[in-house]
Order: sequence, then structure tokens, then C-alpha cells
Amino acid sequence: MGEAAGITLERLHKQFGEFIAVNDLDLDIRPGEFVSLLGPSGCGKTTTLRMLAGLEFPTRGTIRFGERVVNDLAPAKRNIAMVFQSYALYPHMTVAENIAYPLKKRGVPKAARLTRVVAVARLLQLETLLTRKPRQLSGGQQQRVALGRALVREPDIFLLDEPLSNLDAKLRAHMRTELIELHRKIGKTMVYVTHDQLEAMTMSSRIAVMRGGFLQQFGTPAEIYDRPANVFVADFIGTPSMTLLDAELHFVGAAAEARIGPLVVPLPAGQVAADGRGKIEIKLGVRPEDITLDEQGFPAEVKVVEPTGHENIVLFGLGDMAVTARIPAHVRLCTREHARISFRPSRLHAFDRATGTRLVGGGE
Amino acid sequence: MKRSSPWKRLLVSLLVWSIVLVVIFPLIWMILTSIKPQTELFRIPPSFWPGEITFEHYATLFKETPFPQYLRNSVIISASTTILVIVVAVAGAYSLTRFAYPGRDRLAILVLFTYLLPSVVLVLPLYLTMVKAGIANTLSSLVIAYTTFALPYALWLLRSFMASMPEELEWAALVDGASRTGAFIDVVLPQTLPGIISTALFTFILAWNEYFYALILVNSDEARPVTTGVITMLVSSFNIEWSLLMAAAVAMSLPLIIIFVFLQGYLVKGFATTGTKG
Repeated sequence: MGEAAGITLERLHKQFGEFIAVNDLDLDIRPGEFVSLLGPSGCGKTTTLRMLAGLEFPTRGTIRFGERVVNDLAPAKRNIAMVFQSYALYPHMTVAENIAYPLKKRGVPKAARLTRVVAVARLLQLETLLTRKPRQLSGGQQQRVALGRALVREPDIFLLDEPLSNLDAKLRAHMRTELIELHRKIGKTMVYVTHDQLEAMTMSSRIAVMRGGFLQQFGTPAEIYDRPANVFVADFIGTPSMTLLDAELHFVGAAAEARIGPLVVPLPAGQVAADGRGKIEIKLGVRPEDITLDEQGFPAEVKVVEPTGHENIVLFGLGDMAVTARIPAHVRLCTREHARISFRPSRLHAFDRATGTRLVGGGE
Repeated sequence: MKRSSPWKRLLVSLLVWSIVLVVIFPLIWMILTSIKPQTELFRIPPSFWPGEITFEHYATLFKETPFPQYLRNSVIISASTTILVIVVAVAGAYSLTRFAYPGRDRLAILVLFTYLLPSVVLVLPLYLTMVKAGIANTLSSLVIAYTTFALPYALWLLRSFMASMPEELEWAALVDGASRTGAFIDVVLPQTLPGIISTALFTFILAWNEYFYALILVNSDEARPVTTGVITMLVSSFNIEWSLLMAAAVAMSLPLIIIFVFLQGYLVKGFATTGTKG
């Protein structure tokens, strides 16, 4: 007990009647890793987490903690801890009783329980609140009690279901750093469900992006951002979103170029294998920060300028298309102004328009 | 808010108190009659305050009539009904809110439907069933009869109480190492306790005051509750024992008033909802 355990999901499938919540999910989480399940609501991330917890049983497929298959184990037998979105603190118990509850259920003697509760309370700065009832606490304090209850019995795996979504923005940022710190300190495997890409990007060692029950991509935050596996991931990750333009991919000798109407964008050589097709219909993706003002660039018109302080989010009209760019705040741009922009060639993304899968580009 | 003038407040107070007086006058009259000597009862003009206070009617009631037996019967019947109804309703309500099975909601509506049937329709079949089962004319026959109409209502009351309790609390308990039963005892019961107490109180009052079933199903002093007992004992075609009747009325109201006073705090708490968020 107490060792971090890896998690292996093999063709994990969950159906509610006709509705497929999780579709043949394969995932390999290493011991001690912080993995986020990220996706819009209804993507199957919470169902996956609930299957890990044993609150929901898979229709088929295998869940392994380390070497142990846990498919049919009751939640109590899995040695996991879970933090719920609503914190789920027991309202009739004090903070101390809440934190001690998992120990009590495991038959830990009272004296030992007290020692552990005090230790956890110290770690989370809850010492002065131990005799209070949950309703006498602020949101952030309740959140810490929920974490304390999860920490107290040193489980192999932590499951967190959108634990920060009920906090205000400032507290959320603070708790994010606390969680990262906590994970570093205890080194346990954590699975974190969120629909907030910022949380996933800042906290995770790897992110599993899900949609409609399917795994879209599993990789480090940098991989997900720089080399999104398909149009969905490309569009979902990043604020503001990546601009996706309908284009045609042409091969001219060894070089490839994307043609967007009259505009021609050269693509980095050697990245796209000519597969014999003369041209491929693609979506050309470009992130806002990869668009620069350039005297040699395409003529564009400034449509909207949104200052954020350190930069401006600028919407350019490029022919009949719209392109979102991040422009440093010191560059003065006005609405209706004409400018010339270009795309950083090495940072362009190309996706097959029919299948949505990635063809080329992005940072290496 | 604008502070209303003293005259207006005085007027409102007077109005409220006069309504209260009208409502409680029969109760006061009941108590006063029960402590008046027999000779004062029919005096004309009637006297409001007793000229002399006497407890002889209570003494007669408790020493010379089967009233103590009726009272004991009522306590047994009401307490048993309450316990039976609460045990079944808590389990049933939990099942109706937490377990998924085909026809669950239809079942809940069906249960409520049985409550809608008038008791006159049910009492004869119930009586015949009791006779066949060999329990007619016993305390248990009334317990069962009362359960048939108290249970559906209790089930619905508790169902809404449990439905308002967040399910995440139970999931948390399961993950924290509790069994399903453990989670039920540690989390569900304490959370629904105010609901359980108000439902229990409601059931007890229902059983305590029931008259119709008791009149039809039971006709021996061994099983008669206070409601029918007092009437058969003191009211006949030729005579009504007013002083004894009033003493009996006071004696049978007291237990309810006492219980109510003790559980009032819980009742209030029952309506202050609980939740998980701050």
C-alpha cells in the first residue's frame, strides 16, 4: 500500500443503452504521472473516471492498476481516492471527522487516525478549522478538506473530477499551483478530469483529449499543442483557437504548397510525403501567435482589435476568410486598417479535410 | 421597510389574537369542562371559570373505565405503525431514488395511486382479508390497516427528501471505503434524519387520530384504540358523559402535544435543506 500505481486501460467500453459513452479506449498511464482527461461535456471523460473509481462498471474491456485487474472490484477495494466536483463533504460531520472517515472505514485505531488527520491538516493548512462543519467553510477551504480526505489514507491513485470548477478565477489559479506542488510532493498517480484546457495544459504530464467517447490524442501538453492529431484537437486546444482555412495541397516537385484561393503558402519541404495524388483537399491550420505582420505578406484588413494588456488579439479579414492573430500590444492597429500578414511556414498545420487527420506541420 | 404606526400594529394584534381565541376556544372549553364538578356543567347561565376545580373525572376515567386499556392500545398501535412504516418507507424510498430498474417511476406512481383510493372502498376487502388471515379484531389488524394508507404517503415524502440529497455524497463514501450499507448508514440516514422524524411524526398522528378503520375492524375492548373506545364507552343514544368525555379528550391529546414539543426542533431542521456546497 502507498506505492504509486500505473493504470492500463485496454479497449475500455461503456454503453448506457444505445448511447456509447466511452468507445474502446486504450490508455497507458505510468506510475506517478499526472494525466488529464480533457474534452467538452459528454466526451466520456467523467464516465472513464467513474469506471476507474468503480462507481460505474465497464461494458467490456479491462482496467488494470499496476498488474491487478480491477474491473469487478468495489470502490472500497481499489485503494483509490476521489475528489468530486461538489467536494461531497459529509455535511453532518466536522472537518476532522470528514478527513478521518476513510481511515475509520479501514479500521485504523482512533489514536492513529488523529495523528494522520493532524498531519494532513497541517499540510493543507486546515489546523484551525478541524472542529467546523463544512457549511461554515469557504469554497477554497471545502476544496482543501476534500483533498485532505483524499490524501489521508495514502492511496495508490488519485481521481479528481473537475475539482476546481466551483472556485472563482483567482482561487482556481492558486489551487492549480497548490495541486502541482502537492503532486510533486507525494508523487502519486493522478487522473484529473477537466473541460478547462488551461488546467490540463498547466498541470498535466500528459493529456488525453476525448470527444464523443473516442480518444483523440494522448500526449504531453507540448505535443498536443504543437502537433495536434486532428482538426478537433487543433481547434479545441489553444485560446484563441487556431484558424483553420480550407485549402488545397499541391506538390510541385519535392516541395509542397497550400493554395487558398489566389494565395499560395509554401509548406516546409520534406514533411509531406507526396502520395501520388496531385492535390489533396486540406484544412490549413495556423495558430494566432504564428501570424506576423510582414511587408511581403498577404494583404489583409483589420476587422476587430481586442486588447488584453500585454498583446492584442486581432481578427484579420483575408479575402473572404477570417484569421485570428496575436500581435504585440506596442503595434498600433486600427479597425479597417490595411496590413500585410504572413504565416510562419514551419509552424503551419495541415489536416486532411475528409478525415480530419493530421498531414503535416507544427513545431518539432 | 416603513415602520407601521402603533395604532395599526395594535389593530393587527387585536385581529390576530381574536382569531387565535376563536380557534382555541373549544380546546379551552374542553379543559375547563374536564375540571368542573358535574353540578356546574349544566348550570344556566353557564359559568366560564369553574367555581371549584376537581380532578374526579380523571380519577373515574383512569380507575373505573377501560380507558387506560384504550390508551395503551393506541400507544402500541401508533408506535408499531410508525416503526413499520418508517422502516419500509426508508428502504423503499432509497430504492426508488437510487437503484435503476425497469418500471421504477411507474411503481412510484402506482404507490401514490393506492393512497388516492377512498378508505371506504378499501375497508371491506381489508376486513375480509383480516378475517381470513385470522387476525381480525386484534391490534395487528389495525397496525396493518394503518400501514396501508400511511406507507404510500410516507414513501413519497421520504422519496423527495432522498432525491434532494446529492448522490455524490454516497459515491464519496463508497470510494472512502464504505460498503453500500455502510454508506447508507453513515451518510444517507444522518442526512435524511429530519425527514424521517417529520414523516414519523406525521404517521404517528395519523394512526393516533384514526377512527373509521378502528370502528369497522375492531369491536372488542382488548384491541380498541382511544378514538373509538371513548365514543363507545361514553356516548350512547340516551346519554353523553360530558365531563368524562372532556377528560378523555384532554388525556388523549396530551401525548401528541408532548411529542410535538420535543420534536419541534427537528421538524424545523427538516425543512432547512442540507447541501454539499457552501
